[in-house]
Amino acid sequence: MSLFRLDGLTKRFGGLVAVDDLSFEVDRGEIVGLIGPNGSGKSTVFNCTMGRYKVSDGSIHFDGSEITDYRTHEVVENGLSRVSQESNPITEMPVAANIKLFTLPNSVLAFRGGATDEEIYQYAARIDLEDKLEEMPDELPHADIRRLEIAKALATEPEMLLLDEPFAGMNQQEINDLVDKFEELREEGITMIVVDHNMGGLMKLADRIVVIHNGSKIAEGSPEEIAENEAVKRAYLGSTEAM
Amino acid sequence: MSSDTGRLGGPLNSIADGYNDRFGQVFGELNGLQFALIIGSLLVLLLVPVWAPLLGMSGLLRTLALASIWAILAMGWDIQSGYTGYISFGHAVLSGGAAYTTALLIGNVNPDLSLAVTLPLSVLAALTIGLVIAVPSLRLKGPYFSLVTFVAGLIFYQLTYAFSDYTGGELGVRVGRIDFTVGGFEITTFDPVMRYYVMLVPMLLIAVTLLYVARSNVGMIFVAIRENETAVSAAGIDTTKFKIWSFVLSSIPMGIGGWLLAHFYGTVNPLNFLLVDRSIELIAMAVVGGMSSILGPIGGAFLVIVLREEVLRIFGATGRWVMLWTLILLVLVFARDGLFRKLWHYLGRLGSRDGGEN
Repeated sequence: MSLFRLDGLTKRFGGLVAVDDLSFEVDRGEIVGLIGPNGSGKSTVFNCTMGRYKVSDGSIHFDGSEITDYRTHEVVENGLSRVSQESNPITEMPVAANIKLFTLPNSVLAFRGGATDEEIYQYAARIDLEDKLEEMPDELPHADIRRLEIAKALATEPEMLLLDEPFAGMNQQEINDLVDKFEELREEGITMIVVDHNMGGLMKLADRIVVIHNGSKIAEGSPEEIAENEAVKRAYLGSTEAM
Repeated sequence: MSSDTGRLGGPLNSIADGYNDRFGQVFGELNGLQFALIIGSLLVLLLVPVWAPLLGMSGLLRTLALASIWAILAMGWDIQSGYTGYISFGHAVLSGGAAYTTALLIGNVNPDLSLAVTLPLSVLAALTIGLVIAVPSLRLKGPYFSLVTFVAGLIFYQLTYAFSDYTGGELGVRVGRIDFTVGGFEITTFDPVMRYYVMLVPMLLIAVTLLYVARSNVGMIFVAIRENETAVSAAGIDTTKFKIWSFVLSSIPMGIGGWLLAHFYGTVNPLNFLLVDRSIELIAMAVVGGMSSILGPIGGAFLVIVLREEVLRIFGATGRWVMLWTLILLVLVFARDGLFRKLWHYLGRLGSRDGGEN
């Protein structure tokens, strides 16, 4: 049985259909790429999954339970975590406290608790951020801010990560390092969906790629199959972007 | 100056370190100078009945008792509005609701009700009003939330006139003083010294409790909600639950403060308890001291009340209010982070320089 399943997911904003009857599954331990030209609905899929948008139609299942109407914190408690496209650290707190926030119990009476300093160090070390724990987020270079977002997501101990454009704004070296890190996380048992608008970082990383265009799935297959797919080429040709 | 603090800094720092080892994790770490400020202020406050008469300032006992109550209210506002960033402009409704509960019980049920009845019921009333306002309005953001709390304040103010058969309208209801016995010792707020401690001790206990909360995970989550609510839900934390919790933590001290204020004045009327000015005053105290710090609002409350009741009296009954609000305006413009926060950070820098030399 798959770990994650979208079943006819539909999201309408007024007259606009952002996601149109989209279905796909992700198996445990897989890394699935979700690509499509800008505005094709990729981020909307994540926003629906994380309970940020109310789903118009269809359902979302994760790890045996239906999470379609869950609120964000309930989705996270169920083992899903998202690394958003925009970085949003709390600028008043150092890196360590930003990570610690993601380990705090969701209980109003839990005055103490959450990760110890050692555990925070470990979360940071998984993504090479352990030397920056004392720094304030606005002192960090872009790539480290992105690492902090990943460290925060890891601190919720997710079974599955939703990665929204993780390679945006990074140079080739940084992309390669990050691809290696994601491979390591997969070895540790984390399933992933990676959104990107081009195939660059995904060719090596993804086991399977789902392509959406105008909210609908137009292709699904191995990275090699997708690279040769005519419908995908046409979709990208219509936009100004290169694959 | 620097050699003075240098000589003082050593022993102060070692005492402060003793505190830090035991309590630093719980209440936050202090350097020697900050520790001295806290202990010094505490001693000054505890010994007012000793030094005030010697300086011929016995009137201070009344002023500082009143300041203690307002410190409770300013801290109560701070743990909710200051920490979560959901700014309430109607917090006097909570303390006023508690005061009117006491007034209605004493005025309409039984004038001899003991505080064992009036205090818990008054706090419960503040809590209920807090939840009635919080639950529907906390999904509103920014100015809309503030506006709802503001309008709630206006409604409560008018209600006291609408139900003047029970509330006495503008004149209010007499509630008398607080009398109780502890271990055979009779305490009455007719006595100015006892009254002072009856107001001061709850203030100190509430300060310790709220500091504990503010320096805990709960305080950290409140601040995170203020800075970035979306990130907090992405951390698997139910922000709605925590925002309601902030109102609960706020309503309890507001209720206690309202009850104390009722007995301090001896009469509960709309002017002293529910006029919208009262809500703005407690915000002003918190902001002047330094909001989202708990200690700042205490300093702010004492500063504002001492200015209003003692120093600015030279400007006359109305003139003192004009001067007070002008001074508050100046602090808002030139020291937005709050005077006591500035002092605190100044001592922090001074103290760490001493530490470096030693």
